[in-house]
Amino acid sequence: MIDQLRQTCKKLLEEGAVQVVIGYGQDKPSMMPHPVFITKPEDTDRLVWNDLCFANLAAYVTRKEIKALGKPAVIVKGCDERALVVLEQESQFTRDGIYVIGMACDSLPASGMGNPRAAKCASCAVRTPRYADVTIGEAAVGSSAVGSSSCSTADTEFADLDEFMKKTPAERLAYWKVELSRCVKCYACREVCPMCYCNRCLVDKNRPTAIDTSATIKGNLAWHIARAFHQAGRCVGCDECTRACPAGINLRLLNQSLAKAAERAFAYKAGMDKETPPVIGSYSLEDKESFIE
Amino acid sequence: MSDVISKNDLLRLVDQWLAEGKRVIGPVKMGDGVILYAPVAVSGQLVLDGFVHPANSIKEAVFPRSETIYTYTFNGQEIELSDVEPDCTECIVIGARPCDAASLPILDHLFNWDYQDKFYNARRAATTVVTLACTEYDDDCFCTSVGLGPAANQGSDAMLSSAPDGAHGTCVFEVRALTDKGQALFGGKTGGKTSAAEIKVPISDGPAKKFDTVDIETFLKNNYESEAWRDITMRCLGCGACAYNCPTCHCFDIVDEGDAAGGRRVKNWDSCQFGQFTVHASGHNPRAVQAQRQRQRIQHKFRIYPEKFGAILCTGCGTCTRNCPVGLGVLNTLEAIAAIARASIEVK
Amino acid sequence: MSDTTGFEPKIVAYVCNWCTYLGADLAGTNRLEYPPNVRIVRLPCTGRIDFNLIIKGFEMGADAVIVSGCHPGDCHYTAGNYHARRRWTLFRELLETLGFEMDRIHFAWISAAEGKKFQQFITEITEKTRALGPYTAYREICEASR
Repeated sequence: MIDQLRQTCKKLLEEGAVQVVIGYGQDKPSMMPHPVFITKPEDTDRLVWNDLCFANLAAYVTRKEIKALGKPAVIVKGCDERALVVLEQESQFTRDGIYVIGMACDSLPASGMGNPRAAKCASCAVRTPRYADVTIGEAAVGSSAVGSSSCSTADTEFADLDEFMKKTPAERLAYWKVELSRCVKCYACREVCPMCYCNRCLVDKNRPTAIDTSATIKGNLAWHIARAFHQAGRCVGCDECTRACPAGINLRLLNQSLAKAAERAFAYKAGMDKETPPVIGSYSLEDKESFIE
Repeated sequence: MSDVISKNDLLRLVDQWLAEGKRVIGPVKMGDGVILYAPVAVSGQLVLDGFVHPANSIKEAVFPRSETIYTYTFNGQEIELSDVEPDCTECIVIGARPCDAASLPILDHLFNWDYQDKFYNARRAATTVVTLACTEYDDDCFCTSVGLGPAANQGSDAMLSSAPDGAHGTCVFEVRALTDKGQALFGGKTGGKTSAAEIKVPISDGPAKKFDTVDIETFLKNNYESEAWRDITMRCLGCGACAYNCPTCHCFDIVDEGDAAGGRRVKNWDSCQFGQFTVHASGHNPRAVQAQRQRQRIQHKFRIYPEKFGAILCTGCGTCTRNCPVGLGVLNTLEAIAAIARASIEVK
Repeated sequence: MSDTTGFEPKIVAYVCNWCTYLGADLAGTNRLEYPPNVRIVRLPCTGRIDFNLIIKGFEMGADAVIVSGCHPGDCHYTAGNYHARRRWTLFRELLETLGFEMDRIHFAWISAAEGKKFQQFITEITEKTRALGPYTAYREICEASR
């Protein structure tokens, strides 16, 4: 797979079809694979592809430093590609403005260290990208149906959350108070997220201040509520925020709660199909309102 | 001659400090396995082996992430200001890595430069740092490249070195009091003196040097406009994971938080990597692009601060590199720069 | 009015200008008494009500928050309340996951003609909130952050 990837990228750069390839590199063998930006055909040997390629490169498509380089080719896994679908729905790029190279995931081995990555892959429904210009590799036999927008793995997908919701509200609040008290407001969660592309985030607003910037429990709670809700129906569950958090906060649970709500209430799953109207921003006359008094 | 203390006795001491109302900070394992320096309620929470470095630093003991500096209340047309006394609770940091302790003397320069920061100084005076010498290191450690090492004693009041087995059949630590504060903490509390020959204390040599700070400083002086900055730091996303967990990063933002009745003025951590960090009131941003922000970070740490205060603003702990979501961090940036400097490529 | 412990709940109601606010007005002109515990905040439409306002209500010391607007199909701006309804459906799930006390958050449709409903609704919520007591959990969070 890696040779095919490097050849494809080399050709794209040589022909001038793209000006930069956003992919994974691993400049030192001891490092985790990290994003690289290849602008010269001879540098495509820096590209790697292995089971540690976690980063969601779709996050770079909206950054101005990358846009300044020209038309990009971006390497995506199935989960990353969902982010591209949402970004395209939100008019963050035109489809012919980027070249998508899809990589089929072999099932990523569980590291056994409680890495949330293993959790997301266990219930993944999109192991092969569906809308790429070129797809490299094939899904393993028996993996979930390609292109399916149904919630075929919904039962396992929200298992962690369902387990968590068995706690009482007081227990849940106590849990989040402990988790969120570790937050230092570094915003790594925001910066790795492909959906957080606002030039000026709500938390940076200060005339007037909408959300406390202080890393107190009040400020942290307000921030995480805001970020989770701004992702409602947009978060594709790539879990990069959870991986990036230096304090190890279980952000996955928060995002899952909104993803589950969108699926159960509106049969909507972010990033599966460009044509389905986004869940926030559209409405139906038949939306349920049992909770309204 | 060294003093020794068994692990159990050490933990008993910690519980005693806690009972006396002192704050004790040390490495603690959090819910999902990440290890952070955090206040402990009982000594059993402390993790003193089995990892290389916590994911954060000890600077919170002297420079908290959020600190009220005064409060205000509105009284009709009047505003009443009330001073806030700095927190002087006695604090003991136990199990700090030498690279974390070394940051305190470095920070002392800044917080006593053009203004004597009473909040920092009060906490600094009330804090005793007990370091635990390192027996191992990982690929992200580079203390030896910035003039430190696994048993460096800068900033440390007392150093513990773990010995696999003393004469007691349990894990013991050699204790060396380095300052009066350290002596006050451990004097008379250790298990007795043993000769150095009796206990073998394995200290690691530390990582091999990964770059020369003189090469770095030369590059920084001569390549301000280099496009290498853009290439090396292209993947930086501009979060604060590096700066906030760095033992020496100290930038802060001052904001007012309150409502119609009043509020407080608070000092919060800030990161030079945030896009809005240098936005002027006019709207102009002199560091509008990530490459400029990253360049500034490295310049500050390895040229500007040394020129100003004679100390490198980095202790080689590697926390930035371990935490960076895209695998950058100071170490990788410097290695890339050092490679360019070594190859003597004249970049435009 | 106040019970023996003297606790008076503070209730913030975010209401839309065209329906619920006028309904409250109607209650007033008809001299229908309702408890003074409610603080009414008027916005043009429920579609404009940001979820952050609900959080701010609790941050500022509310013991209960009400959000109310036009019935579906009656929105002065045609579809604002449909968007709001969608948003609330999702936001409630997030709040539940976080452990908020959901019986302190109320959503309602009250029209400009429903002065009586407004009176009954506010009276009911005030009594319910009085029985629940102050929202100490959120107060503690705000106090710890001073």
